Amino acid sequence: MNRRTRVVAAMGIFLLGSFVASGILEARVQEAPQAAVKPAAATAPGQETPAAPRPPRERMAVYVLLAWVWLSIAVLLGLLRMRIREADRVYLMGLGREAEKAPKGPGH
Amino acid sequence: MNVLRAWIEERLGLSAVTLFLEKKEVPRHKHTFLYYTGSSILLFLGIQIVTGVLLAFYYQPTLAEANASVVRIMTEMPLGWLVRSVHSWSATFMIAIVFVHLLGIAFTKAYRKPREATWVTGVMLLGASLAFGFTGYLLPWDELSLAATKVGTNLPKAIPVFGAWLTQVMRAGEDVTGDTLSRFFIAHVSVLPLAILAFLGVHLFLVQRHGMSVPHEVERKGVKTPGLPFWPNFAFREAGVWLVLLGLLITVAVVAAPGIGPQADLMAPAPEGIKPEWYFLFMFQMLKLFPARVLGLNGELVAVLIMMAGMAALLLIPFIDNRPAERKGKIITGLAWAGLAYAVGMSIWSLL
Repeated sequence: MNRRTRVVAAMGIFLLGSFVASGILEARVQEAPQAAVKPAAATAPGQETPAAPRPPRERMAVYVLLAWVWLSIAVLLGLLRMRIREADRVYLMGLGREAEKAPKGPGH
Repeated sequence: MNVLRAWIEERLGLSAVTLFLEKKEVPRHKHTFLYYTGSSILLFLGIQIVTGVLLAFYYQPTLAEANASVVRIMTEMPLGWLVRSVHSWSATFMIAIVFVHLLGIAFTKAYRKPREATWVTGVMLLGASLAFGFTGYLLPWDELSLAATKVGTNLPKAIPVFGAWLTQVMRAGEDVTGDTLSRFFIAHVSVLPLAILAFLGVHLFLVQRHGMSVPHEVERKGVKTPGLPFWPNFAFREAGVWLVLLGLLITVAVVAAPGIGPQADLMAPAPEGIKPEWYFLFMFQMLKLFPARVLGLNGELVAVLIMMAGMAALLLIPFIDNRPAERKGKIITGLAWAGLAYAVGMSIWSLL
């Protein structure tokens, strides 16, 4: 098993685990629909409707989501940084240009 | 994976595109960061389209239901408030980056020959973006949006000959009513997207046709500018910028989600503190400060004519500034800086 396969496998397990975990959470919400899907408080006429989510559960979920978003961004930026360095090194070494100039063998 | 790649390649022939992107070079100089603004605008446009479609599933553009449907989106739909907030904030981000993109091109004089048509389509795209903002502002149908739309649609009335007709076309009648709301909605979700896609298609084709422009001052030095392959070197950097912008957008959308005011009443007097979106503030302030009569002429007419002259100058700048290296070019740069300082100053004044 090479490194790439291991990374893909780990990511697959992580994703699968997330789906299962979210499914369990969802099932709990469905068991208690009244508590989870609490209707928003009615706004009196002529009053501004605030934009923040009402149920504390949803508010918490959004902040957790935000933390995950930034964590994912940080990881992806790290990966991109490595790819950029690699691409720049290949370019500076002139590997792409050499491949273009290389004489083409029979059959090409 | 390779079989799938071969299958796609056989049918779509995407290797020609990859080859083109690999050969395409992005010049490297101190203004290279400006090249990221174009693709960032595309990112926010994509977000606008996706969130706009989601909102359109639930929004009802009628006098009785417009405000209530937005309230429902915000309070009853799962994460509806977040979708609306992302839609609203991505519009702000997009227009801010459109301005940075345009100013960057203007001050590096990237519009010079042979890129005049690229500039013209870019200004058209700016116009379409502002029209998106203007039409979208009315859709929540609250007191503030109604009053601001009344002011905005009243503006063309000052133009002689066709001004009154233009106002009537925008309002679908003499005054802002439910018909105006329907008209703005249709413009927002069908006319303007078609226009923006058409202009964008031509704009992107021209950018690829002429390649990325090198700033005038760099070109004048006569030294060959080092380049960076677009694929993958520049594209990966661009992806990084996209990720950071996406994170900022979601954060701002969560932390500062916009609320909605009470339903608009057509008979009610205009509320206190009417303000348009930030990108129209300088025009709003200019109209507020302009005297009623200037040299015997209607002050509003003079103000509107000055704005129209400014817009025409912006559109035709590549043809006016056709010798950027000479004195004329330097004067135009000076005037552009003065115009920018004026717009920023007026906007800040309006906020105070």
